[in-house]
Amino acid sequence: MLLIQDVIKRYGPITALDGVSLEVKPGEFFGLLGPNGAGKSTLMSLVAGLRSPDAGRLTLNGRPLSATDPAARAGLGLVPQSIALYEELSAEQNLRTFGALYGLRGADLRARIDEALAAVQLTDRRRDQVKTFSGGMQRRLNLVAALLHRPQLLLCDEPTGIDPQSRNAIFELLEARVRAGLTVIYSTHYMEEATRLCSRIGIIDHGKIHALGTLDELLMRLPFEEEIRFPAGPDTAPLLARLAGQGELTTLDGTHRFHPRADYRLSAFFTQTESLGLPARLFTSQRPTLEALFLHLTGRTLRE
Amino acid sequence: MRIILTLLQKDFARLVRDKAALSLTFIVPFALIYLFGQVFGVNRTDTGPSGIPLAVVNESDNPAAAKLLAALQGEKAFFVVTKFVNPDKSMRPLTETDLRPMMKANNFRFALVIPRDLIRDDEFGLHLKILSNPRNEIETQTVHGILQKTIFANVPQLLGQSLQARAKKTLGSPKLAAFNSSIAGTVAKTFGGDPAAIQRDLERGDFGLGDADDGTPAPAGGQRGADFFAQLVKIDNEQVIGRDVKAPAATHIVGGWAMQFLLFAVSASAAALFHEKEHGLFQRLLSAPATRAHILWSKFLYGVLLGLVQLVVLFAAGRILYGIDVEHHLPFLMLVCVFAAAACTAFGMLLAAVSPSPEAARGLATFCILIMSAVGGAWFPVSFMPEFIQRISKLTLVYWSMEGFDQVLWANASFIELLPTLGILGGITAAVMAVAVWRFNRGPLFD
Repeated sequence: MLLIQDVIKRYGPITALDGVSLEVKPGEFFGLLGPNGAGKSTLMSLVAGLRSPDAGRLTLNGRPLSATDPAARAGLGLVPQSIALYEELSAEQNLRTFGALYGLRGADLRARIDEALAAVQLTDRRRDQVKTFSGGMQRRLNLVAALLHRPQLLLCDEPTGIDPQSRNAIFELLEARVRAGLTVIYSTHYMEEATRLCSRIGIIDHGKIHALGTLDELLMRLPFEEEIRFPAGPDTAPLLARLAGQGELTTLDGTHRFHPRADYRLSAFFTQTESLGLPARLFTSQRPTLEALFLHLTGRTLRE
Repeated sequence: MRIILTLLQKDFARLVRDKAALSLTFIVPFALIYLFGQVFGVNRTDTGPSGIPLAVVNESDNPAAAKLLAALQGEKAFFVVTKFVNPDKSMRPLTETDLRPMMKANNFRFALVIPRDLIRDDEFGLHLKILSNPRNEIETQTVHGILQKTIFANVPQLLGQSLQARAKKTLGSPKLAAFNSSIAGTVAKTFGGDPAAIQRDLERGDFGLGDADDGTPAPAGGQRGADFFAQLVKIDNEQVIGRDVKAPAATHIVGGWAMQFLLFAVSASAAALFHEKEHGLFQRLLSAPATRAHILWSKFLYGVLLGLVQLVVLFAAGRILYGIDVEHHLPFLMLVCVFAAAACTAFGMLLAAVSPSPEAARGLATFCILIMSAVGGAWFPVSFMPEFIQRISKLTLVYWSMEGFDQVLWANASFIELLPTLGILGGITAAVMAVAVWRFNRGPLFD
């Protein structure tokens, strides 16, 4: 469906996208995971036709996407990062305006507005000005405004904000639409969102795609299968020397993370902790996460 | 066009839902026109200043001096002070020595001294002294003008007295009496009348040149004095253009107010472009089948239509409040309004195109609008300014819009006569919009 080939985008001396290539297939829920400034929004803006690439090619269903060809974007929907609604207008007036831009008219437009408002539980607020809505309500309306014309491909540029209630509502709506055949590209710097929603994930940083695949495929790229965490401090400091050479050891936010070598036996680990008199409650073991993968691939965290 | 109309419809829907914008469009113009009209005294019968404190020291015992003082007291521009209030609240006549310290204390800024030697026998003319503290140049010029007018209204008789005093000193009393008697006899013989009465008038300095000897002061308007001067120089006045214009003062200045208001209004709506950018609305619109051109032309059309509505409301306010004849010039007035609104909108869009932020746009707008209004003649006639500024004023849209309004409302111009002005306004609009669109396509507004 969407093919991105060797795309380069520069802003003056800064290279925002450096030879990005990827393909998104119909019906996929594709996640673009990376920290702020990684190039996610630039890539979204190129796909949405807001900007043109300096090099490379983007096509949607074989038709080149460009900032100068609005008709090519008819099958796209964009949920911008900010709440892109006219706050003086009512929910209904906003939807009517955005629908009309896509050529929707009359009974068809009215039916779609009714359907959209019902989907985000805003039917009873349809005539209220958007500025009177809560942040979560505005987020939901922001989403359905991009779905009104029933796009084939929905671009969600960090669409959830910080309201957990609206986040769940948005997730459920998106999952339902993907089940109905919608293709979604979802950019986020929240590992949890990508883990929950995305069938395939691209990890982006400094304008490059570092890894691409399903969650399982990506996690398999880690040279370890377990992660043992324990607090940094004087009690656990002697343990660090004993773990040296047994695997990968990183420290983040006052927590040591030990990723053992494949042939490392956990019984050896516990023998050492017992010999140092460290209580078992200090240690947790879990499956590695996308954050660990990101750290492994880029040397920095998603929150940087 | 469908997309432009959709965006246009959206902007009008926003206007309708925005009470502040609505009041700016429909209520503020009325308030503005009313207030400006009051400030500039449009259609008021009692125009001009009133109650300016004026101290008068009358040291002369000449009856004409008392008449001059009475005339000044009858002049509404002045509040005449002649008494000095002692600390014990008792009062005495002001003296010249009181004046300077009182002026330094800002008790009053103007004083007139009528000296004892108001009329001297060693020189022709009158001797008066005006003291002033010209803190405000316009007030000072106004006060001097009214003072001179009131004095000149009383001059004829005083001038006659001055001539008699000088002649008395030169000729001596017997020869002057013989001279007056001879003149009185000739006047009586030629025009009729009692020679003795005429001689008495001559000796009092009353040459019958306008000031009646009825013991009353010359009226504040200085009509008798004016009659005297009118007899010296007769001027026939003919108003060639605008003779039939109703409410001429308001007709002249309403265009300037309208343009200033319109410029501020369209600049505010241009600054609103930044609001849409900051809220990601341009991203949403541009990801739809809308282009930058759609957005810009819908904004331009919206600005022109809104400006047109505001000009119509402003002129309607002028019609209702000050009786400006709008209805007989409606088609051409609307034409000028469209061109003026287009030029103003282009200016607002240029501001948005060159400004990095809404704050910068507002600051730049205020600066440009005030300069353009002053230079373009919205505040005072362009002819009051130096020649190089007069040349610059012809580069402003304010000047040409006001020219258009004047041509329609004042000169009753034909369409052919109006064409050059419309052409210049259209040219300004095209040039400014071209620069604005060029900047929009390269600037950060749509990034």
